[in-house]
Amino acid sequence: MPPTLRIDPRDARPIWRQIEEGVQHLVARGALPTGTPVPSVRDLARELQVNPATVSKAYQRLTDAGVLTVRRGEGTFVSELPPPPSDTRRNGRLREEAVRYASLAVTLGADRQEALATFEAAWRSLMAGGSGGEEA
Amino acid sequence: MNPIALEGLTVRYGSRLAVDGVSLAVPEGAVYALLGRNGAGKSSIVRCLLGEQKPSSGRVSLLGREVWKERASILAEVGVVPEDPDMPPAMSPRQIARFCSRLYPRWDAAGVEARLKRFGVPRDTPFGRLSKGQKGHVALALALAGGPRLLVLDDPTLGLDAVARKAVFEELIGELADRGITVFMTTHDLAGVERIADRVAMLRQGRLVLDEEMETLKRRFRRVSFPRSQAADVSRLEALAPVAVAARGWEVEAVVSNYDEERFSALPPAGQDGAEVSALTLEEIFIALTGEEEER
Repeated sequence: MPPTLRIDPRDARPIWRQIEEGVQHLVARGALPTGTPVPSVRDLARELQVNPATVSKAYQRLTDAGVLTVRRGEGTFVSELPPPPSDTRRNGRLREEAVRYASLAVTLGADRQEALATFEAAWRSLMAGGSGGEEA
Repeated sequence: MNPIALEGLTVRYGSRLAVDGVSLAVPEGAVYALLGRNGAGKSSIVRCLLGEQKPSSGRVSLLGREVWKERASILAEVGVVPEDPDMPPAMSPRQIARFCSRLYPRWDAAGVEARLKRFGVPRDTPFGRLSKGQKGHVALALALAGGPRLLVLDDPTLGLDAVARKAVFEELIGELADRGITVFMTTHDLAGVERIADRVAMLRQGRLVLDEEMETLKRRFRRVSFPRSQAADVSRLEALAPVAVAARGWEVEAVVSNYDEERFSALPPAGQDGAEVSALTLEEIFIALTGEEEER
């Protein structure tokens, strides 16, 4: 798989979620264009040295979310159409994560301006192909 | 039916208690890792699992049958990689494989050849002249050739270099992907097993101190660190009941075993102030839980 997906044992997220969000991230920034085949569960599991059941769980969730499409007998691909827009679940999720970020910013003593600037920077870095808001 | 079930397993060597009332169950399709420091009792448990050691008390069942009574018939369905693979030193891997093939009803001779080739093990060199890593690879190739439903691995990466270790895990992953085999392993390779095991148990002085899903284990452990200057009063974390507290450089680190965000947010501001919360690797959790063993 040319664009890289990394698993970090120090990350608080479970491995399946790191894979799920990693793929979402690669799709969002265009590193995995629509129609691109993704590695088989077995290949990705071997590459990341993780349990195939973990990859399978991530792929299942990505398929359910419309990010990936399974074509029978052919494999799994990045969906032709972007995931269905603006359903209530998506909006709810967006708001939920925003609240989480806002409260974190407040906890760390950032003001509104600093929080927005940090978000802007993260957004720009994501679009420029950086790793986004990952912590070192 | 759980492929492995231990009930109150106890092993004594003379007056020494090596395994003290261990009960555990390995569900079908699980990758179960048994961890513990040297001398914690792992090898005794494996010996009981394989019918090489009679339990002082308690029961050990493999694939639903009692091992001590039906060892031969059960072990035909179990693949085993011993800690220190011991095979006739003058025989080559090919000869050993041919010998073993007659003992198993479903022997995959082509699979053995393919695996040895992937591992880069010379197939016609006497076993006694192979390196430690190569011996381990031969043992794994043979263990998988009988088409086992259950694989028991006793520290399969002990003493292997990074490349040989990776090859072992890749082979295991392939097997899991293709056949959903159940795996029970003891290991000191915490970084490797962290990505593969879905359930972890820890032994300490013969007792099971932990047995749970990897995901829940990793979710409930967190490191809370704060600058040393504010550390005089560790009691500010009392509500979180840290399992280990240590001063490191500029910081004081507390390991919390029952972390949740709500509980942390409920700490008084003085408890949260300057504190950073981070996740732990399996190795760090292991050290927090077993590291202070000597002092007790």
